[in-house]
Amino acid sequence: MRTGTIFLCLTAFVAHAALTRAALASDFPADFAANPAAVNMTQAPKVVVNSGRLEWTPFNRDLTHWPSLSYDDKRPTLKPRKVMLSEPLNGDPARGRALALARDKGYCIVCHEMPGEDWPGTVGALLLHFKKNNYPNEQVFQQIFDARAFNPNSVMPPFGTFGILDEQEIRDLVAYLQSLD
Amino acid sequence: MKRTLLVLMLLAGMAQFPVQAAALAEEPYREYDVMEDYVPHVSGDMRLSGSYKYWKDPKNLDWRLAGNPDDNWKLNWKFMDPPFNTSVHGGHFAVDRGDTIFHELNKTGRFAACLGAKKGSLKGLRARYPMHRADLKRVAGLEEVIERCAAKEGRVLQNGSYDNSAVSIYVASMSAGIPININVISPGPLKAAYERGRKLFHTRAGRFNLACSSCHAHQIGLHLRGNVVTTPYGDVAHFPVYRTRYQLQSLHLRFAECNLDTRTQPLLPGSRPYTDLEVFLTGLTNGYPVSVPSERD
Repeated sequence: MRTGTIFLCLTAFVAHAALTRAALASDFPADFAANPAAVNMTQAPKVVVNSGRLEWTPFNRDLTHWPSLSYDDKRPTLKPRKVMLSEPLNGDPARGRALALARDKGYCIVCHEMPGEDWPGTVGALLLHFKKNNYPNEQVFQQIFDARAFNPNSVMPPFGTFGILDEQEIRDLVAYLQSLD
Repeated sequence: MKRTLLVLMLLAGMAQFPVQAAALAEEPYREYDVMEDYVPHVSGDMRLSGSYKYWKDPKNLDWRLAGNPDDNWKLNWKFMDPPFNTSVHGGHFAVDRGDTIFHELNKTGRFAACLGAKKGSLKGLRARYPMHRADLKRVAGLEEVIERCAAKEGRVLQNGSYDNSAVSIYVASMSAGIPININVISPGPLKAAYERGRKLFHTRAGRFNLACSSCHAHQIGLHLRGNVVTTPYGDVAHFPVYRTRYQLQSLHLRFAECNLDTRTQPLLPGSRPYTDLEVFLTGLTNGYPVSVPSERD
C-alpha cells in the first residue's frame, strides 16, 4: 500500500518535470547558456586560442530542468519531503554498491568513505562498518530520499525528491549500507 | 502643514506596502542559508577557514605545503601565482597576445580611456574592477567593459573569448602586485551588488540542490573525491587564469564550470548574477595583490 503511494508520488513528480520543461520552452531566461533548439539544451563554453569569439559545445546533460541562479528563473526548489518505507526492504546489496559508485546515480564516494575504493571524500559521515550504527532501514531510506527532513541545512542532495534515484534504487542502497560489517 | 506631511508620508507608506507584498509573493521557494559574517577584506578568512595565515605573503610561501596534495588548500593554491611561481606557461603567451591587441585598439588612446584608465595609464586599473559604469548604468566587470570598448573600435572581443581574456590579463599585468580595492561598504550600486552576490553564494540551485557555500563555506579543507575544498577569500586576484587542462579562463567561465560541475544550468558570461558573484568575491579579495599571469591545474 505504502509502496503504491510512493510510486504515485514519483509518477506525479515525473509529470511535474515534464510540465516544467514545457513551460520553460516558451519562457527561457535570457541569460541561460543554452540552445533551445538542441536535444540537450545546456551548452558548455569552449575557448578557442587567438579568437575573439567564444564557442559553445553541447553539454552531455540537460540541466535546464532545474532551478538556476538566473534572476529570471522563477521555478521553485522542490520542498523537503517525508516518506514512509514499507518493509520488507527487498534491496539488492550488490546493485546498491554499483549505484553508490556510479557517477550518474549515487556517487556516494565523492563525500563518503566507503570500503574498497580509493580517494573517498571526507565531507560526509563515514560509511565504513555502517551496520554497527543499527540505524532503522526507514531512517536510512529517508536520509537518502531527502536528508532535509532531518536537517534543513544538510548539503546531501535529496536523491529521491529530485528524482536522481528511484525507490528501488534507494532500497538497494539501504541494503548495501546495512550489509557493511 | 506638518499634519498634511504626515498624512502624505503615511499614504506613501501604505502605497509601498502592497507592492512589497506582491514582490514577495512572486519569489519562488528557494533554500538560502543565512550567513552574514563576511568581512570585505581578504583577512576575513581568519574567521572562516583560517588558511589566510599560510598564504597572506605571496612571496614567502611554505614549500612543504606546496608539495603536499593534502595541504595545497592551505596555500589557497597561491604557489601557482607569481612571484612564487616562476615557470613560463600559457598565461605568459596570453599577456603577449593581449599586449598586441591592446595596442592595436588603443592607437588613439580612446580604448584605454573607455576602460577607465587615468591619463592613459593602466596602472592600478584592474584593482578597481568591478566598478559602477555610468555609461552602462550598472556595475560591470573588466571583461564586459573590454567587450564593449573593443566594439566601439570595431573589433569583436566576446566576453569569455581567448582574446578578451588576453586583453584582460594584459591590463591586469599592469597592476600586478597592487592590492585589490573596491568599496563595497559605502551605500551605492557596488554595495548592492555585493549583497546580492553574497545571497547568491548561499542560494541552492541545480540538480543536486547545492549552493556555492555548501562546499566553499561549510566544507573548506575537506575532500571531495580527489579535490580539497578551498576558501572563497582571496580567489579573484589571479583571473583570468591559464588552466593547464582547459585554456585561458575568465572568472565568469570559471563560474560556468562550477555550475556544470554541480549540475546547475550555467549562465552567460557578463550576466547579472555572475557579475554580482564577481563583486562579492572581489570584496572578499580586497587587500590581496593582483597576481597575473597565473596558472591552475
